[in-house]
Amino acid sequence: MELKGKKVIALGDRDGIPAPVIEACVKSAGAEVAFAATECFV
Amino acid sequence: MEPVIRGVSYVLVHAPNLLVHYGTTQRLERHKDPDSPYLKDIYRNLRAYDTALAYPPYQTYIGNLTPAELEQVAQPWYEGNKVEPRRFGPYGEILPEDEFYAWMQRVDVFDLVWLEKGFLAEIKDRLGSHPLWTEEDTNILGAGKDREAIVKRLEDGSAVPLTLGDRLVGCVRRAHELDENLKAEVMAENTACKASAVLALRTLLKTNGVDAGEIEYIIECSEEACGDMNQRGGGNFAKAIGEHCGCSQATGSDTRGFCAGPAHALVEAAALVKAGIFKNVVVVGGGAVAKLGMNGREQVAKGMPILEDVLGGFAVLISQNDGRNPIIRTDSIGRHKIGSGSSPQAVMQALVAEPLDRLGLRITDVDKYAVEMQIPEFTEPAGAGNVPAANYRMIAALAVMRKEIERKDIPGFVQRHGLPGFAPTQGHIPSGVPVIGYARDRILAGEMQRAMIIGKGSLFLARMTNLFDGISFLIEANPGLREEEAQVDRETIRRLIAESMRKLAEALLREQEQGGE
Repeated sequence: MELKGKKVIALGDRDGIPAPVIEACVKSAGAEVAFAATECFV
Repeated sequence: MEPVIRGVSYVLVHAPNLLVHYGTTQRLERHKDPDSPYLKDIYRNLRAYDTALAYPPYQTYIGNLTPAELEQVAQPWYEGNKVEPRRFGPYGEILPEDEFYAWMQRVDVFDLVWLEKGFLAEIKDRLGSHPLWTEEDTNILGAGKDREAIVKRLEDGSAVPLTLGDRLVGCVRRAHELDENLKAEVMAENTACKASAVLALRTLLKTNGVDAGEIEYIIECSEEACGDMNQRGGGNFAKAIGEHCGCSQATGSDTRGFCAGPAHALVEAAALVKAGIFKNVVVVGGGAVAKLGMNGREQVAKGMPILEDVLGGFAVLISQNDGRNPIIRTDSIGRHKIGSGSSPQAVMQALVAEPLDRLGLRITDVDKYAVEMQIPEFTEPAGAGNVPAANYRMIAALAVMRKEIERKDIPGFVQRHGLPGFAPTQGHIPSGVPVIGYARDRILAGEMQRAMIIGKGSLFLARMTNLFDGISFLIEANPGLREEEAQVDRETIRRLIAESMRKLAEALLREQEQGGE
């Protein structure tokens, strides 16, 4: 999937991949992060 | 000398009606759609007390099953009565909700918890036979209130209900007319947290034969905030709990760190004892009413009962080294630093690898890791997966990167160094601490050398930072009181006596010489 120029909403998981990591990843692929938050289900 | 884990207790409170009224999932659902099918059918989807008693993970939490035995019980655990439903276990008990309401009233010192006369009369005999309940406790309860008085408070909006199904048995009143921090819902939540912590601390003292007067300091580590409009989280749960457990010689304070609170509190307790400031420090945490039924909608949607139906509580006593109980290694605490980074690899590097490296240990040198011990059946329906297993795989992956194990050994590593989740989703309750009792028993039995307790906290939920948090420590078999330390002590005493006698002799000589002149 081409992420360049796309807007991304990043929802991370505390015991999985947290939002800042997803954010860094998609930014490096040229996407713009519109919203990022890590959630906790426990 | 390193501090030791002298005793533990673990308690659960079956609380389906508190779940209905005060669990945030249910409250939000009521706010959004009071006629929702989830709320309409909620009582049909709750478990009866006897059913909850027979739930294998709960029996594991109070110590009637070991985690290894739990692993042998066929899943799903919630179906059928697969284990003996026992109320009491070696670590504590599973308290029924009607008795818990009495505990809430018992620990309330501002006449905010009212129980109906007839209800109180019904349960007083049962309370009297409880091993932790005293005659004084019964006397403090009094005769109860008229139903009309309770209904009046509910109708004027100054109280919230305590129910058993469709029966109204009491209420919790607000502590202030305007202060949001003292409104009735908050008082119900905080009083339930306090009451479950009192149950845990009394259990700790009783089952471990500890005199309450020995306790010098209490650290409370739940996720609730007690205070008023001028200091929302001013505290202090710790002393409020100790007051009802006979800990007249103790002071205390509250430590917060989301789910990592207990692990932080245990490190602080270990430090206070190691430094010699206090000899006996208790870490205690009560339950989180807000998290009752947290993933209930998803569980019901999957045809399951609402499983998150208990409040959790625990207490741990940290004491001076007795040469017997497992020690806490204060010389290498793992910590997720502000600069550590948030990737799973960075987290495990900070919490697991760094403290082990400082001691020259390998990841495989730790017999068991205590991570987030949530019951997988609770979280899987909501898409959060098997949380303990996910954490164990992360530790295993780190061991692969460090070339301590082969990639193909990851499942074997998880099996050898992991445990099944057996703690309810009560935030701080499942975070590392549930394993301490099991590890202590195995270490004392000579079946385990070392365990690592890891606490992780979701700081970002408070919207003050995007940072994650975590802290970890090792507990190990006690090597015994070292002979050389005892010798040093004796030598020191001999030297001090010799010096004193010499000074005395010199003084006497001087006196004689002066007298002669």
